[in-house]
Amino acid sequence: MIAEGRLAREFAAHGRVDDCPVIDTHGHFGPYQAIHFPRSAPEQVIDTMRRCGVRWLVMAGHQALTDTQRGNAEIAAAVARYPDHFRGWWVLNPNYPERMECELDGFETQEGFLGFKLHPNGHETPLTDDAYVPVWEYAHARGLPVLTHTWQGEGMSSYREVRTVVEKYPDIGLLMGHAGYGDWEESARVARDHEHVYLELTAAYSVRGALEIMVEHAGSRKILFGTDHPWFDPHYGIGCILSAYMTDEDRRNILYRNAQRLLELPLD
Amino acid sequence: MELFDCNCWYGVPRRPPLAGAETAEVLVEEMARAGIDTALVRNAAIFEQSPVTGNRLTSDDCAKYEALEPSWGILPPQTDELGDLDEFIAAMRRENVRSLWAYPEKHRYLLSATTMGGLFEEMVCRGVPLFLRRNEMPGKFDTYELAERVLLDFPGLRLIIVAHGSWGEDRLFRPLMERFPNFAVDTSRYELDGGIEEICNTCGPTRLLFGTNFPETPMGGPLLTLLQANISDDDRALIAGGNLRGMLEEVRL
Ligand SMILES: [Zn+2]
Repeated sequence: MIAEGRLAREFAAHGRVDDCPVIDTHGHFGPYQAIHFPRSAPEQVIDTMRRCGVRWLVMAGHQALTDTQRGNAEIAAAVARYPDHFRGWWVLNPNYPERMECELDGFETQEGFLGFKLHPNGHETPLTDDAYVPVWEYAHARGLPVLTHTWQGEGMSSYREVRTVVEKYPDIGLLMGHAGYGDWEESARVARDHEHVYLELTAAYSVRGALEIMVEHAGSRKILFGTDHPWFDPHYGIGCILSAYMTDEDRRNILYRNAQRLLELPLD
Repeated sequence: MELFDCNCWYGVPRRPPLAGAETAEVLVEEMARAGIDTALVRNAAIFEQSPVTGNRLTSDDCAKYEALEPSWGILPPQTDELGDLDEFIAAMRRENVRSLWAYPEKHRYLLSATTMGGLFEEMVCRGVPLFLRRNEMPGKFDTYELAERVLLDFPGLRLIIVAHGSWGEDRLFRPLMERFPNFAVDTSRYELDGGIEEICNTCGPTRLLFGTNFPETPMGGPLLTLLQANISDDDRALIAGGNLRGMLEEVRL
């Protein structure tokens, strides 16, 4: 049952709803230091997508968080092999500034990537650091989306740093990964006040009450679904969204409509 | 299939969660909305104030709702705050309390054989399960080390760690599952894709109990994950409520 409404009823009964596809805007790929993944092989990922009705998974390589060259190449291969399921985020590491230009050129020539993924906390480099300037310039000039990890706490990747960046580069489609976790209302206001800023839900959905704050202060058209897959079962995130007090129209905005519009992914 | 939530609470903690549930009535309404039949519950006063007041409040509230089964907190029997061992067991029998929770960090005691040996021996022989929150101990992995020590001393104790983190803890709890047949975890924050399935295939379905971690976590996440996990319906029914129901029915007070 989960909650009132048709979406809850159908997801509970069938695990997926054919007229409500899901776009997962925040995925990963490959093994990672801190966790055991039972289902991370591409075929298993696609099976999970089928069971949950996930039409597209946009992912950044775990390996790319440390070794961008190998890691981005790994994602390029996965996307080339499964072009009807996967798209990539091109990871850039600010700790190797000498590589930045060459890697931006690499993005230019590579197909299947939608934009860039940054991880200020993982790379211990605040989002406002000068090392990211080439990324912002590049993405701003081309109107490309950037998914960045965001989390509460001043000085690294909070809504404050996001605001500083988008005030200077307003045309970047900026996805606040984890929705600025913890600073719910302030992050939602940044998404509300800046046309191209979105709240991405990975892990944020599991905090009861956070979704309602986002819908109230930013609106459901500024929220995107994501799961950190293979970390989290998409059904967990979908279930949390079904539990939240909002309409099925809000849920559809979050699960696929906004991402479809922003990332221009077909839903055939 | 009975949905029996082993891990939820209500009440007024000093620092409320983003969306709280101050009364048992709110909890029962949310359970009805989600389709959860029964819940093992505790009033926040048990961990925020003291089991002395919290146990009483929990039992009083549970008496009003068929869907709620009371669970109590423990304290060292030596300080006699909950009566001596015989009195405490007698009170559990009287109030039909068939499970207990330990908060050694919050209540400042050692969850050890010296402190709790007498109570744990009674719990082993009466089949009373003990619940422990994953974040009870302050260090990163301390709660697991504590669980291992307790189980080495009392391998017959039914010990359940709840609300283990979502950031991947299989490397921490699977060795305990392999070594101790009475150890289990709840599913409230088991978000790992394929996690439930893999536990069923390796350790068996009796090592997982359905939990929601309400009101901190929305009920729908753990619920949809279990409903749609790629496991047999028999295993699903055990995790959903069969394991906990069976455990409680075996309790002899
Ligand atoms: Zn991520």
